[in-house]
Amino acid sequence: MAKARDIPGLDGELPFAVAAARTVRVRTAELFEHLDGVLDVGDIERVHDARVATRRLRAVLEIYRECFPREPFRAALRDVKALADALGARRDPDVHLAALEELRAALPEEDGPGLALMSARFRAEQSAGNDELAQALEDVREFHLHERLVHLADAAEAAGTP
Amino acid sequence: MKARRVKGLDPQGGLADQAERIIRVRLEELVAFTPRALDPTEVQSLHDMRIAAKRLRYVLEIFGGLFGPYAEKAGKRAKDLQDLIGEIHDCDVMLPRVHGLISELEHADAVAVRGAAPADAEDLDPAVTAAAPHGPQWRGLHTLATHLAARRALLFERFLLLWTELGREGFVARLDFALGERAGEASEIDR
Repeated sequence: MAKARDIPGLDGELPFAVAAARTVRVRTAELFEHLDGVLDVGDIERVHDARVATRRLRAVLEIYRECFPREPFRAALRDVKALADALGARRDPDVHLAALEELRAALPEEDGPGLALMSARFRAEQSAGNDELAQALEDVREFHLHERLVHLADAAEAAGTP
Repeated sequence: MKARRVKGLDPQGGLADQAERIIRVRLEELVAFTPRALDPTEVQSLHDMRIAAKRLRYVLEIFGGLFGPYAEKAGKRAKDLQDLIGEIHDCDVMLPRVHGLISELEHADAVAVRGAAPADAEDLDPAVTAAAPHGPQWRGLHTLATHLAARRALLFERFLLLWTELGREGFVARLDFALGERAGEASEIDR
């Protein structure tokens, strides 16, 4: 799992809203870097890292909510949540499939058909989750989530600068 | 579980003072799930506690460095807690799915076995049951259900141990103390 990047220049005396701007910029950049290649089911760590990045971004939006203009904040938070849900719809079956594979390798052959049947269910969910994720990524692009998050950071910076 | 709103935050106010208020609320939220979440049957409380640990972890991940040295360590402890409860949660999600599939196959097999017996049979010949179509799958599914239930029990024991360790370590009191300090002013003694 990717480690959270440090937020440069955070100190205790910094106005809360300026800290909000800096944090949202870093966490937004992290998220969009991690979205590359998430539809590849052959590398499940990408989805995991992207999901953690959405959680971190969502957490900072909620932490700093007082620093942002109300309506753009609510819309951005809603869209980040939707993306997190779509990543979760892919990630959950990924996790179950990996656990089943590990178990199958450790158990007698006679257990194989039952585990394979369960895996087939999760594989179908993984495929449906990937379709959902592809649509969510399309929405992110179509509704300019990246730009809106950058604007939120800019608005916070202005609110915190005397 | 919705996060409790932290009241009175000031966008123009100093970061450390605002962060301290947020962390204190998130810490209270986490602790509020005990002792309920320490009961293995309180699945929802444990799930909510995981979310509370996650929220505390993320605020400490950003702001831990602004406070006394234990704040960053507390962030790592919150992550340990979140990760462990997350593993338990995976079992809690998967086990009902396995039981659901077992029920589904049981029903399908019963229908198939009944269909294989003569319509006018007085009773069911056990030999017909032996040819249930999902026979080969039963063993693996029951093994999986057993594995998940046992793993859940083991991980829950580890969770109780971790929570006890956190208590011995003075997790809540030390984080509370660290929040009263500001980075740079912190005593070397706590390192």
